[in-house]
Amino acid sequence: MYSVMLADMANDPNHRVRSKGLLANILSDIHFWIPALVLLAGLIILHKLR
Amino acid sequence: MGAETIVRSPIPASRLRKLQALGILCGFAAGAWLGGAEAPIKIINPSVSAVTISLVMVLGVFLARWSVPALVQGTSHVRNDVRQAPHLVVWAVLAGCMWAVANTLTIYAIRNVGLSIAFPLWNTNSLLGIFWGFLLFNELRGAGWRCWLGVWGGAAGMFAGATLLAFASSGQATPGKAFTGVIAALAAGILWGTMYIPYRKAYLTGMNPLSFVAFFTIGELVTMTALALSYLGAVRLWQELLSVRTALFWLMLGGFIWVIGDLFQQYATKYVGISRGIPLSNTNQLWGLLWGVMVFHELRGGSPRTYAEVIGGSILMALGAVAIALSSATGREHVSWQDAAEREGQRYGIEDDYVRASMEGRESNTAPSRRSLLDWLLIVGTSAVFGTLAAFARLPVVKIDAVWVAVLATAMLALLATCAITLWRTTRFR
Repeated sequence: MYSVMLADMANDPNHRVRSKGLLANILSDIHFWIPALVLLAGLIILHKLR
Repeated sequence: MGAETIVRSPIPASRLRKLQALGILCGFAAGAWLGGAEAPIKIINPSVSAVTISLVMVLGVFLARWSVPALVQGTSHVRNDVRQAPHLVVWAVLAGCMWAVANTLTIYAIRNVGLSIAFPLWNTNSLLGIFWGFLLFNELRGAGWRCWLGVWGGAAGMFAGATLLAFASSGQATPGKAFTGVIAALAAGILWGTMYIPYRKAYLTGMNPLSFVAFFTIGELVTMTALALSYLGAVRLWQELLSVRTALFWLMLGGFIWVIGDLFQQYATKYVGISRGIPLSNTNQLWGLLWGVMVFHELRGGSPRTYAEVIGGSILMALGAVAIALSSATGREHVSWQDAAEREGQRYGIEDDYVRASMEGRESNTAPSRRSLLDWLLIVGTSAVFGTLAAFARLPVVKIDAVWVAVLATAMLALLATCAITLWRTTRFR
């Protein structure tokens, strides 16, 4: 179903304009990096505990 | 009307009160269902690998998280949410990955230091959640000292209560492994406390909790499958799954019940924020204890000190939850939330009416929802899987109190019905 959604979004001109900077927006968002770094730290701890 | 004005104009006080009351009700319902999810797991043979148990539960969670939204609203709403705010799919998957890693860490924590020490350590997630809510999403800004006292005091009271309850629940540290157990429990608490950043981000900008959980579970299932395969290997994992085939139904049922609790937790996060939603959901420890003591006869023959710890801990947790429930966000604090929503909307180019409608708990799209063939396939397919597993299921020989099962199940169903009806009447499950 997700592929259908992505196809819909690709055909939507408004969405195409809006999503130009989507990845850049996500990667420059502190709200992404805090959970991402905590997840990475969690995976490292889990690996060490094994 | 300018875009900024649409998001920032205050929500009418009566509507705000309704949404706050709804969020608090959802928080209490979440506690009941998340706690109840422990019951089916208690009847499983403890010799089964914890990773296998976790993986099967996540499979139940995956099925529930796609079929329940299909049943409640139809998956067309998921599509609409993704079109409006596609970036949130990233956060939903990220949150799912965090949940899976945290859940696996708790297994190590329980094995190394016992539930008594591990539980209060990972329950610190509520304190971290309050911190992130304040720092990143303007929660408690302009709330007044009474609200601050209510939320922080309530969370501290619940933490103290959780500590007392956990110590009463027996369990001893494995010699030489206490340090790793404490680290694992703290890491789980930090992961779970930080996992609420994606939750809050999604609901502040308008994603429906039913849509968020659908993508959350993809991250959860992929991470858990990868962990299970790397820990056990494909052959051993398959052998373990075969060895527990008569218990698969109970484990997946535990996952299904957990999803109901988590959905209510998501609605609580949406309408009262993470600073209040997480502590209220943490009352699941009280419900878990009720199931353990009343249904599974845990703590029977315990010392007077143990009973004093249980009663004292329960009262502290209940008082903490009441303090938080009475510290609803004021109009001024809600304006701060709207500022945060406006910031998110501008950053990701989300339609203002969509953000505003979500904050008010109403539909931005007035088109009636219709279930598609895919929705019915999801509902029928999930029912068929659970029906087939139920046919193979055997109830392990465990002494349970049937009367208390009926009492607690009735209480959970009453909360489910009350909460679902209120959610429908107030927000149409938005």
